[in-house]
Amino acid sequence: MQNAKDTFYMALRGRLAELNPARTMVVRGAVRPGIVVEENELPSAGTSTDAFVLQWTALKVDPHGPMPLAAMSCDIRYATDGAIARTTAGTTAGTTGNGGMDRGRMLGEMDAELVQAIEPRSAMKMNYAETPAAAMATRVFWSDVVFGAVKAVGERLTRTATVLVFAYQEAGEL
Amino acid sequence: MSGANGLVAGVAPVTRRVRAYFAPVNRVTGAATIFDAAQSGGFALDAPPAPWVDLGWVKNFTRRCETKVTAMLAGAPVMAQSQVRAEVEATVSLEFERWGKLQLALASGTQQMNLLKTATGAAANGSGGVAEAAIALNPDSTATALDVGATAAAQFSVGDLVAVDVDYGGTTGYVGSWVSAGYVKSAAAVGANANYTRRVTLNVGRVAGISGGVLQLGAALPAGAPAAGMQVSPLVGFVDREGGSFFQEWSALFVMEGEQGDRVLYHYPRLQAMQGSTEKMAALAEPLEQVRLAGAFRALPVKDAADGEMVLCFRSYLPAAMSGV
Repeated sequence: MQNAKDTFYMALRGRLAELNPARTMVVRGAVRPGIVVEENELPSAGTSTDAFVLQWTALKVDPHGPMPLAAMSCDIRYATDGAIARTTAGTTAGTTGNGGMDRGRMLGEMDAELVQAIEPRSAMKMNYAETPAAAMATRVFWSDVVFGAVKAVGERLTRTATVLVFAYQEAGEL
Repeated sequence: MSGANGLVAGVAPVTRRVRAYFAPVNRVTGAATIFDAAQSGGFALDAPPAPWVDLGWVKNFTRRCETKVTAMLAGAPVMAQSQVRAEVEATVSLEFERWGKLQLALASGTQQMNLLKTATGAAANGSGGVAEAAIALNPDSTATALDVGATAAAQFSVGDLVAVDVDYGGTTGYVGSWVSAGYVKSAAAVGANANYTRRVTLNVGRVAGISGGVLQLGAALPAGAPAAGMQVSPLVGFVDREGGSFFQEWSALFVMEGEQGDRVLYHYPRLQAMQGSTEKMAALAEPLEQVRLAGAFRALPVKDAADGEMVLCFRSYLPAAMSGV
């Protein structure tokens, strides 16, 4: 199942980077596309803004078919305080003075990016434990995105979208 | 499970939606358009091979096999000795997600008529009053550019709908270019009206630009470049009726794209409408409802050139790469 989780994340990451190269974040000193998997990073009490944070939640495995079929629920959380100016390297440099009045638009941009990045809703399963990553024999596929309601925490807007990711467990796969 | 040779077990296809494609049946000869999955089964869904036309996604696609298999009984006590197909029948029902002239025509089951712009003072009529005179086309017209000349072009506006076809010539039989869109039982029945062919034709388009006496269409006319004698009639919309004697018939292809790269194709060379115009309402949020065109069709037989068997439908399966078979 780890290969399916990695594949889903890498598919989204590549697509988001293409859609909006300016959406970046600094993770452990490195500038990366603005999407992370929470369980792959150091624990943090803070909320990342203007980036997508993936959290794997429910898991169900149907063992009765020719290959076990795993269904994994992925919450995609994102938040924004409004427009932020970015340096050419893509790092946050401070507010633009919009006073957060564009936070709805910024959240809308992230909604739209996610809608686009989710398509097409399948990808060849890859084993990223190998270098270079190796294509496996089946494809990972996923459901439509279900968008949760916007929550306002102070002036910060947050949303959680959920995607159900499916993958067949190939022989010998963890 | 995958084996040492890299193959994985063949799994049941998982699909999201069904895509429908249309091709004409030559009603005069009864010749259907045959889809060869061996040659073209892997086509890109957005680019079907000619002459297939994309009808878009469909919902609630349902196939029904209504073939009756009965036993041949003999002996004492009577026992089943063999079986025969006493009746072979198949039907298809679906709802179109897209509204267009073709979808309307197929779902209506009978003639799908064009509401031609009426002549001044025309008496009211349910399927449109007497139409204004058609406009001749210059010979340099193409499937996307209708040269009507500067004077006639002034009568059109960007966004207008047009029907392009020949005048009705007083003969009986099927009428309509590209697709037989109706059947004329007698010239008297249609009032020997020259516009009748354009009233039922499926060869329609929308004006996307006007320049130099030429109407630029938003998409190519399905019948291609206008043939000699074709004229243009402006129209305001479409109308179909419950009743009538004509049955729409088409060659159909339905594709289910599997999530593993596998594909299931259903090819019905001849489908005839088996119900009148029907819609299904899909609730969006009170009081909003989406209106979907609903069609139901009965399959008619063709002879398979491989062995001469008369069949109604071909189901093809293209397995995913590296899946066991």
